[in-house]
Amino acid sequence: MMLRLTLAARIAMIVVMSLLAVWIAAVASFYRWRADEKENMRLSPARIAALAELIEQTDPSQRALALKAVETSVLQPKLTPSGGAAAKYRGAAVSESISHAYVEALSGRPFEMTSQPVSALALWFPRLMGTTVNAFEFRIGLRTGETLVIAVHDPLVINRLGLPVGFGAGLFGTLVAIIALIIMQRETKPLARLAMAVDHVDLSFDPAPLPDARRSAPEIRALIAAFNRLQARLGGMLHARMALIGGISHDVRTFAARLRLRVDRIPDEAERRRAVADIDDMIRLLDDALLSSRAGAGELSQEMVEIAALVRSEVEDRRAQGVAVSLTSGRAAENAIVLGDRLALRRIVANITDNAFKYGGAAHLEIDVQGDRVILFVDDEGPGIPIEQRGVILEPFSRLEASRSRETGGAGLGLAIVRTLVEAHGGKVEIGEAAKGGARVSLTLPLFDGR
Amino acid sequence: MLLVVEDDPEIGRLVGEFMRREGFEVEIAADGRAMDSALQRLRPDLIILDLMLPGEDGLSICRRLRASDAIPILMLTAKSEEIDRVVGLEMGADDYLAKPFGSRELLARVRAILRRSQGPQVQPANRRYGFDQFVLDFDARSFEHAGLRAGSTQLTSAEFDLLACFVQHPRRVLTRDQILDWTRGRSSEPFDRTVDMLISRLRKKLDAASPGLNLIATVRNGGYLFTAPVKRAP
Repeated sequence: MMLRLTLAARIAMIVVMSLLAVWIAAVASFYRWRADEKENMRLSPARIAALAELIEQTDPSQRALALKAVETSVLQPKLTPSGGAAAKYRGAAVSESISHAYVEALSGRPFEMTSQPVSALALWFPRLMGTTVNAFEFRIGLRTGETLVIAVHDPLVINRLGLPVGFGAGLFGTLVAIIALIIMQRETKPLARLAMAVDHVDLSFDPAPLPDARRSAPEIRALIAAFNRLQARLGGMLHARMALIGGISHDVRTFAARLRLRVDRIPDEAERRRAVADIDDMIRLLDDALLSSRAGAGELSQEMVEIAALVRSEVEDRRAQGVAVSLTSGRAAENAIVLGDRLALRRIVANITDNAFKYGGAAHLEIDVQGDRVILFVDDEGPGIPIEQRGVILEPFSRLEASRSRETGGAGLGLAIVRTLVEAHGGKVEIGEAAKGGARVSLTLPLFDGR
Repeated sequence: MLLVVEDDPEIGRLVGEFMRREGFEVEIAADGRAMDSALQRLRPDLIILDLMLPGEDGLSICRRLRASDAIPILMLTAKSEEIDRVVGLEMGADDYLAKPFGSRELLARVRAILRRSQGPQVQPANRRYGFDQFVLDFDARSFEHAGLRAGSTQLTSAEFDLLACFVQHPRRVLTRDQILDWTRGRSSEPFDRTVDMLISRLRKKLDAASPGLNLIATVRNGGYLFTAPVKRAP
């Protein structure tokens, strides 16, 4: 499974990993280099021999001067009065193969070579720290009786672990970087919280201010404030639009109510029926616009709706009006409950059914449950809908015929309102082909599980 | 005799003229106050009540009439989304008509309501509601369970109001704000505790009386849902 990491965590991990990799590589190569280059730190046997020879032949009063002359920070010779090469030294003896060359060069002078440990650690773990030696000590018994002690140091300053001091600085830097990244992650946290809060913004209620990160950077606080203003503006606009459509709807209904009552006085039966149909279409369009703006503002109510019963009552209403409509329902669909707006759901079913009858001559409904969804198929017996037009007719104010005349059909929100409402319920609408060749509209809605 | 409470004079006039032609006596009132004064002198057989009125709105008038009287009410509404509440348990109107309506439709509804109310006299509507094995009486403010001794489960005033709110809006998602709106003010004790706390206590009491029902479900996006169907109880 892929872990979901925040951006800050990803950056932190990448930086820490690469820093650690560099550091480990440097330490490893250092140890290797030390193991290879130990040879270079030692003085050549000839040089040691020459030094011993030089001191022996120098006048005793001049010896201190000669020693001073050859002394460097790397090579520090000193003379100790005789004590012989047999004296005890702290250091570890160097392997026979290395010291052999010196013994030969010194031609019989007593000789001892030891490596000096960097720290007490080397005494406890000689094998582990064996490669971190940075100093040797040569003891040569001079023919004049004194002992010449030559200490050879590595010019590199190293710490107690036998690593150059720069490596410690690198490690320290890494730690600082890690701390900095942790702080950075803390700083980006308000952004994640902001994103979460913005996702949960519900514009249908009074705007709830997003969490204010009082201790965050000014930019982040400015962003939160800007989001709050945006939220308030959006909410205000949505409410204003709803209020506008609601107000229009109410007033138009009042005028329509007067008109409808007056229309009843038209003596000509056919004329009266047409006028009534016009008023009905006008009100339906208005209702659809109001419903879809409510859906857009998230103001649809949510109630437990027995969807099969709702579909059946719509079907029976139409059958009573002589519309060719049939309904089959699966057993599981009988108890299916959808959480949604009863009015909107009724509008969805009515709209698809009426469309099927209007354009396809009949409506055959089938409702069933599949998994955690309710599926409603509405088939008609018309010519079907060409594939390339199936997307188009889900858009507002579109119809298959290019004309918008009253002859070919009703008002224009059509299937677009269905799509808006279905999507507001977390479902989807699809257009396909019926088994017998007509169009099939499939509606999928999520089931409500009571617990 | 009909009393039409309608603020739009044209609709009032048109309805009045038509119903008079059909042989009814019609009185018209423009708002709640005019209706009250008309009710002082008249005893109508039916009130035709507009939902949107200036001053006291139709819902509140309907609730008031229902509490005191058994005069049948036909609601006129221009807001399609209010229909469920109008004829539902909360308002208790006898029927409704959505504007715009035809005069034949109006006549049919009026006759149907009058026929119903002239049958065996309906007693003034009590306000007892049953769900599962519980009965909630709004007037007596009592709460009973069929399987338990009366009074064994006591609800505080705030808990009763909360449950009443759920029972009046069953099987519908209520947001915290809505619950607060509908319960605040009707409660005798100040509603200072959060809705959530109150709901969890109410849940415990309901669950103790009738275990495993989960009557109040929590819905995603912070709403509550009373899952049991509610019926009027005898």
